[in-house]
Amino acid sequence: MQKEEIFKTLISHCCEILPELENHTFVTTDQLRELGANSIDRAEIVTMMLESLSLKIPRVELSGAQNLGELVDILHDKKLQCKG
Amino acid sequence: MTLVGIEALNCFGGTVFLDVRELAMHRKLDMVRFENLLMKEKSVALPYEDPVTFGVNAAKPILDALTAAERDRIELLITCTESGIDFGKSLSTYMHHYLGLNRNCRLFELKQACYSGTAGLQMAVGFIMSQVSPGAKALVVATDISRFMIVEGGETPDWSYAEPSAGAGAVALLVGENPTVFQIDPGANGYYGYEVMDTCRPVPDEDAGNSDLSLMSYLDCCENAYLEYQKRVQGVDYKDSFGYLSFHTPFGGMVKGAHRSMMRKMNKAKPADIDEDFTRRVEPGLVYCQRVGNIMGGTIFLSLASTIDNADLSSPKRVGCFSYGSGCCSEFYSGVITAESKAKLKKFAIERQLNERYQLSMSEYEALLRGSSAVKFGTRNVDLDFQFIPGAVAASKGKGRLFLKKIAEFHREYEWI
Repeated sequence: MQKEEIFKTLISHCCEILPELENHTFVTTDQLRELGANSIDRAEIVTMMLESLSLKIPRVELSGAQNLGELVDILHDKKLQCKG
Repeated sequence: MTLVGIEALNCFGGTVFLDVRELAMHRKLDMVRFENLLMKEKSVALPYEDPVTFGVNAAKPILDALTAAERDRIELLITCTESGIDFGKSLSTYMHHYLGLNRNCRLFELKQACYSGTAGLQMAVGFIMSQVSPGAKALVVATDISRFMIVEGGETPDWSYAEPSAGAGAVALLVGENPTVFQIDPGANGYYGYEVMDTCRPVPDEDAGNSDLSLMSYLDCCENAYLEYQKRVQGVDYKDSFGYLSFHTPFGGMVKGAHRSMMRKMNKAKPADIDEDFTRRVEPGLVYCQRVGNIMGGTIFLSLASTIDNADLSSPKRVGCFSYGSGCCSEFYSGVITAESKAKLKKFAIERQLNERYQLSMSEYEALLRGSSAVKFGTRNVDLDFQFIPGAVAASKGKGRLFLKKIAEFHREYEWI
């Protein structure tokens, strides 16, 4: 799965949890907190991403991401590792 | 097989409390985010209260209701805390003295952040079930305070949202073979732990941590502890096997998020069903937690007490309990509560105790944060002034409460008021 695809999935989950972002133009430097996601929302979005990518890894492994781009990078790497 | 579980349970939710909405406004927190915490009040420790007074004040009513013969069968006293006052001497020694327990009793303390209470309960259950001393009882006291909250700084900006939910309180459990309050399902335990640096107390009297990491770790554990339970208990279903669910409650919103995640994963439940289920099975357990705050080791039992007091127990119900302690260790376990559980808990009037706490003003609270430095970890000598916030002691008169009077060469001396 390409990073662009993962980013699109991430955007759709962000909009599911925070419908007010429907018209927002997402960029990789966006931070979930600044987009209005509280800690529970952020955990929810991470959980949805793991489910969508069929990744069976602990959520704590994704907690280091500082913005959407970093989250996509980590998810992409994990996906590669799982395949490998 | 020997029955085992909780014979008596009492919570001590402090002498004074603060309205946390007022605190949030005072700290200029984002009120929408504050509402998501689902917290209402929090108990605060006075300078002349410590984990010993909290624990004794929780346990004393239980001891008072026993006969001398029953009291003498308490052969194990475990204190469970992350608020220790000495690296060597455990809180249990002071409690043993002020509760007047038999000297033929094991005294020790254990620590694993907010999991400590569950760890204590499970050790007590093991002791009773081993039948090495038939008829013996164990007293487990989970007691914690958060003396000096870090309001600014910390690793993430969210740390300031921890202040409204950091409480102080203790829960005492009498564990034995006549478990009329909570009958343990023996062997029905899913435990799950690993090393993670989420929240901790790396120096005395201060909390530190990364709230996002802690939240993720809590959710990972909630799922994996339950999956292990499911492996060990045939035919269990997250939605149908438990009449109620009690959670370790750092704040109400956390529990709401965890429940939602579990219901979606385990039962593929839809949002409307999740909301209905939360109101019915989870909310009864949040009532006291929302009024006392996170009392760490004892929070899971504060939630269990809240469940028993607020549940419909016209028929026996199984409660699924999820305990999590940062660092981390977690466990999902279960037991049965009945109408008798409710009747037994009623004697201790936990809700009335909470209603009768003294309400702090913001300026009293701020003075208290400053005044608490008088009893920081390692204090060698100090005399405590009961007139500091005089209304607090006045509200406790006649209730047989223990307070810290002085520290003389590190030795703590307490007084009944």
